Amino acid sequence: MEHSKQTQFSSSDKKDAGASSVVNGHCDGMLKRAAGGSSQPPAAESGSQRPVMESWREDRTRSVEDNEMSLPSLAAAYTTILRGLGEDPQRQGLLKTPWRAATAMQFFTKGYQEKIIADVLNDAIFDEDHDEMVIVKDIDMFSMCEHHLVPIFGRVHIGYLPNKRVLGLSKLARIVEIYSRRLQVQERLTKQIAVAITEALQPTGVGVVIEATHMCMVMRGVQKMNSKTVTSTMLGVFREDPKTRDEFLTLIRS
Amino acid sequence: MNGHCNVKVNDTVEEFHCNNSDLLIDSRKSVVHHKHETSRKKDEDQSRLPALEAAYTSILRELGEDTDRQGLLRTPLRAAKAMQFLTKGYHETIEDILNNAIFDEDHDEMVIVKNIDVFSLCEHHLVPFFGKVHIGYIPNKKVVGLSKLARIVEIFSRRLQVQERLTKQIAVGISEALQPKGVAVVIEASHMCMVMRGVQKINSRTVTSTMLGVYLEDPKTREEFLTLSRSA
Repeated sequence: MEHSKQTQFSSSDKKDAGASSVVNGHCDGMLKRAAGGSSQPPAAESGSQRPVMESWREDRTRSVEDNEMSLPSLAAAYTTILRGLGEDPQRQGLLKTPWRAATAMQFFTKGYQEKIIADVLNDAIFDEDHDEMVIVKDIDMFSMCEHHLVPIFGRVHIGYLPNKRVLGLSKLARIVEIYSRRLQVQERLTKQIAVAITEALQPTGVGVVIEATHMCMVMRGVQKMNSKTVTSTMLGVFREDPKTRDEFLTLIRS
Repeated sequence: MNGHCNVKVNDTVEEFHCNNSDLLIDSRKSVVHHKHETSRKKDEDQSRLPALEAAYTSILRELGEDTDRQGLLRTPLRAAKAMQFLTKGYHETIEDILNNAIFDEDHDEMVIVKNIDVFSLCEHHLVPFFGKVHIGYIPNKKVVGLSKLARIVEIFSRRLQVQERLTKQIAVGISEALQPKGVAVVIEASHMCMVMRGVQKINSRTVTSTMLGVYLEDPKTREEFLTLSRSA
């Protein structure tokens, strides 16, 4: 099924009068690579075998070498987009835009390159005889809407009740970075952050609240400038005990 | 009628050129279309969609995502349509949207429309920048419908832009349509290409302004505009 989809794309590309030979060449290269990939077991990049429910647990690992290899095809795709929008990719302002846009997009999805336990936490888990709430709030977050490929930005507030183990504070922000720098849905992002902290620390409870503005709603579509979306995930004692939850929500408001 | 309009526009441009010889050499180009901007017709959009979709599918795949998962299944189509919407300014011309909403009014005091939300795309990174536009003009016996000022902002902002050029295009567009005594445009925007990536300075704002006619020559007029547009 994957193979027939590619054939469809390549034929529509050939019909496109504006497509230069460069773009076609790149597409052919892509076809060969993808065709090769479909006959072998899927590479780490396209783990389409696993069911959707599990997909948020995956640590997709993309390496720096993968990034460099994908750059030409990403740039070619962006050149096609510029042409398809009626712009002239040869004018001075747009000359290097495909490469800049490709690198920018790779930066916005760099969350796929990092593994939580190994890279990020860096053994910054300490035994501390502390069992009162720890909150890190107003963490700026930038993500990409997976439905429109348009930015989402906002703030994350994280609170947890340690169970004799505390985490380096910046590591909470790093966990936010890993999961937000991906193609995301705000609900899934909130849950991933909460679950990652739970799995790393086994605390008594975790609460995560995200308040964000979605450019896909502000710049296009309904165009509601001041709208904000708020999602939250409460795990452990934050879910069971309303007083704990109240304390967390009050402290992040102040 | 088209011929008549063209004659008038050329006269205005020449007038500006003579009065302000040190001004915009390329004001002629910035009128409606830069010569690099092929005019994109609305009906062409539909036919260009498949190529855009294919490009977005390849982008998703190259980023290491799984294009078959539920959340991404129709993303290429949605992203392509979103991109076409965000660049719909290429369709539109000032003549179209002004819709004859120019009225003879014996008014020659400043008119300001401020806090117009503006959303555009950075032409270097294809990432949004957004902010507020404040427009002021001193009519020369002809006033324009107020929403038309905001519509002119929309035409020029829904394109691949550079903030400096956007400011100038709005100002020159208004002066060529109305021939007022002066036009002032100030844009204050936040660039996601600086906030989300690169230097990552979240609170940074870029401010650009274009002053034409009496706003350029008379500092008191300029000051009045800047004071009135700043006040909360």
